[in-house]
Amino acid sequence: MTEIHDYVRMEFAPERASVAPDENLLAQGIVDSLGILKLVTFLEQRFGFEAADDDLVPENFSTLEMIRDFVERKRKP
Amino acid sequence: MDLSFTPEQLALRGEVVKFARKELNAGLVERDHQQAFSREGWDKCAAMGIHGLPFPREHGGSGADVLTTMLAMEGLGYGCRDSGLIFAINAQMWAVQMPILNFGTEEQKRRYLPRLCGGEWIGAHGMTEPGSGSDSSALATTAVRRGHRWILNGTKTFVTNAPIADVFVVFATTDRARGFMGVTGFVVEKGAPGFHVGKPIEKMGLKTSPMAELVFEDCELPLDALLGEEGGGTRVFSSSMEWERGCLLASSLGAMERQLETCVDYATNRRQFNRPIGKFQSVANKIVDMKVRLETSRLLLYKLAWLKSAGGEAVIDAAIAKLHLSESWVQSCLDAIQIHGGYGYTTEFELERDLRDAIAGRIYSGTSEIQRNIIAAQLGL
Repeated sequence: MTEIHDYVRMEFAPERASVAPDENLLAQGIVDSLGILKLVTFLEQRFGFEAADDDLVPENFSTLEMIRDFVERKRKP
Repeated sequence: MDLSFTPEQLALRGEVVKFARKELNAGLVERDHQQAFSREGWDKCAAMGIHGLPFPREHGGSGADVLTTMLAMEGLGYGCRDSGLIFAINAQMWAVQMPILNFGTEEQKRRYLPRLCGGEWIGAHGMTEPGSGSDSSALATTAVRRGHRWILNGTKTFVTNAPIADVFVVFATTDRARGFMGVTGFVVEKGAPGFHVGKPIEKMGLKTSPMAELVFEDCELPLDALLGEEGGGTRVFSSSMEWERGCLLASSLGAMERQLETCVDYATNRRQFNRPIGKFQSVANKIVDMKVRLETSRLLLYKLAWLKSAGGEAVIDAAIAKLHLSESWVQSCLDAIQIHGGYGYTTEFELERDLRDAIAGRIYSGTSEIQRNIIAAQLGL
């Protein structure tokens, strides 16, 4: 979770000290349509899985908690 | 990667070139001057089967594969000098027909695809807004569900085919809390209550392809006007763009080849200082660079076609092909004008129109800057 938080903060909200785990990244425009490409590429490379088109839904990317849960689900064999 | 073509594919390209040369070029300089769309050319292309090439037979298409389709579109660009007409056809095929095929309900497919493939109806695609170009998360057009209706409010701009279209694929925000993932696609028919098309927008090139704004003022749509899932608009849009970036530029590739041949011919026959101008390195080098751009563009485009045929993801490849082809096409147009000197600058030689048309390629379907951003993001930068 720390690693995902640090990436999102540095990449998308560098002016801030932190991003809350339940903060809505999409509604606040922290992650936009271009940002999601970067975020997915980071997650795929760092955690070793491949995201499908169907994975790109708000339920997986709205908050840091949801991203963490998504990564855990994708990493399960 | 197998990029070889079958004799049938090459024969189809040849047929399309022959058809386009014979049927689509008459009166083009005048049409460009008058900003006149050729409905006759549109109908002939539809009758030739262009609009329906990659679409299933049960929906009025020919069921051609991606590679065959790209080759045919390349042939169209080679034979037809009316880039505006080609642009209008591509805008419908990839950004209206393809999303309806991939995300539409069976009823939507039955109602729209045969009419669009057959050329009876014209389709347009509205995403860009006055305040939202490349940034799709900033869409201001909203769609609210009220009883058995969707109510749309907002304005779309730079909509190709809008003044002549019968059906429109448009995008609106249905849930702002979901950011760009709260965007939803809709199919809107001409005459829907509260919907109208603004006056045509004049532009630098592609003048034979009409463009206008779409205005939604409490526009009422039935619930089944939804295209794909609620909140699934970004997926619909991204999928359309990946197709459009590849196939639209196949026609530019054909145009690049035609232009190269024109330049070789001119440099061989035009004599200055008692020799053909092609014997001067400064001229020959420009033509060589045009050839290199053509061949690198061809490789990138057909690699993309191969990836799409194999069902693979092609985000970065579509962006690379779009960036390289559109920039190459502009530079080759500039070179072609320079090689032709004063003649190249005249309307009669039709090279200045190619340049005006080519510049649009650096802007539509995602600007060159956005393509670079996409590539950078895919590289993890």
